[in-house]
Amino acid sequence: MSQDPQDRKQPPAAFSPEDMARRNRRSVALALVLGGLVLFFFIVTLAKTGPAILNRPL
Amino acid sequence: MSAAFDQITQADDGVALSSTGEARDFFALLKPRVMFLVIVTALGGMVAAPGTVNPVIGFAALLAISVGAGASGCLNMWWDADIDAVMARTAGRPIPAGRILPSEALAFGLTLSIGSVLVLGLVANLLSAAMLAFTIFFYAVVYSMWLKRATPQNIVIGGAAGAFPPMIGEAVVTGDFGLTSIVLFAIIFLWTPPHFWALALVKSGDYARAGIPMLPNVAGPAATRRQIVAYTLVLTPVAVLPALMGFGGLIYLVVSVVTGLAMIGLSLRVLKVTEGEPANKAAYALFGFSILYLFLLFAVLLAENGLGLMWALPKVQG
Repeated sequence: MSQDPQDRKQPPAAFSPEDMARRNRRSVALALVLGGLVLFFFIVTLAKTGPAILNRPL
Repeated sequence: MSAAFDQITQADDGVALSSTGEARDFFALLKPRVMFLVIVTALGGMVAAPGTVNPVIGFAALLAISVGAGASGCLNMWWDADIDAVMARTAGRPIPAGRILPSEALAFGLTLSIGSVLVLGLVANLLSAAMLAFTIFFYAVVYSMWLKRATPQNIVIGGAAGAFPPMIGEAVVTGDFGLTSIVLFAIIFLWTPPHFWALALVKSGDYARAGIPMLPNVAGPAATRRQIVAYTLVLTPVAVLPALMGFGGLIYLVVSVVTGLAMIGLSLRVLKVTEGEPANKAAYALFGFSILYLFLLFAVLLAENGLGLMWALPKVQG
């Protein structure tokens, strides 16, 4: 941990195309997880509510 | 400490806000192999419990329990990144290898911890959610932050964290926990020391470099070998109890006795073979078989209680 403190003030290096591709893949994975969570909560809500979900006064 | 680890922590202070880690790096933070065992053991607790649960709710609860277990593994990797970096076995993990920032791992672990507890509370019940929260706390704080670097009994006491999932599984089904899951807890709790100490015998150099007071480094290999045999001799009869108590059947009885005898045999070999490469092989054999042993016990419980393969033992006439 002997880095020159001045080095820390350097602006961040730009991401390489390969880094950007990795970040894009990560974003896609995050979107899939979020979509999966929406589906998960929908199905669990149906299961928790039970058959009565279709038997209610309109 | 690795150059990559230095670089990533320093960058965390002043420059980079996020890493270029991929989804598989975040998944690796969850310790997937441990998660798999947690799924098997929690499911074992659920199917052996006296009661039934809606399959969708059961699946959702199992998902929450496994994510909670993964979250505690993630927090463990965040806290232990410094020692992971100096151990050959763990230097390739996402944080010491520089693929994930420590701050990212902390945020990921905390988010999943809170999320999994909330989801379990909503889909199952408050008791199971509270037990999951306690399990995460026990593994991340009591074991990782306190016991691991403080005492050679670290994995004995810390083993409780790995033993809770069957109790959480039973709490999901019944809203309570009883003797069934307490016996399953005892099996995992007693299994943990011989399992980890077999690995620690081989990796004692790694643990010494990292300053972790594992039993072989503190009490010596001979004492560790005796403790391995002692724990195995207690574990194997306890592992037969499910058959005697009625929630394990004939297959479970046969499997638990045969694999239990193999565990005893392998632990005795660890005790007898103490020098050179054969000693490492004996320890590795026990370490590897112990995973199969625990998996088989719970897999048979699952098959008997969940798939209807239960052949009950004949009742003894009194």
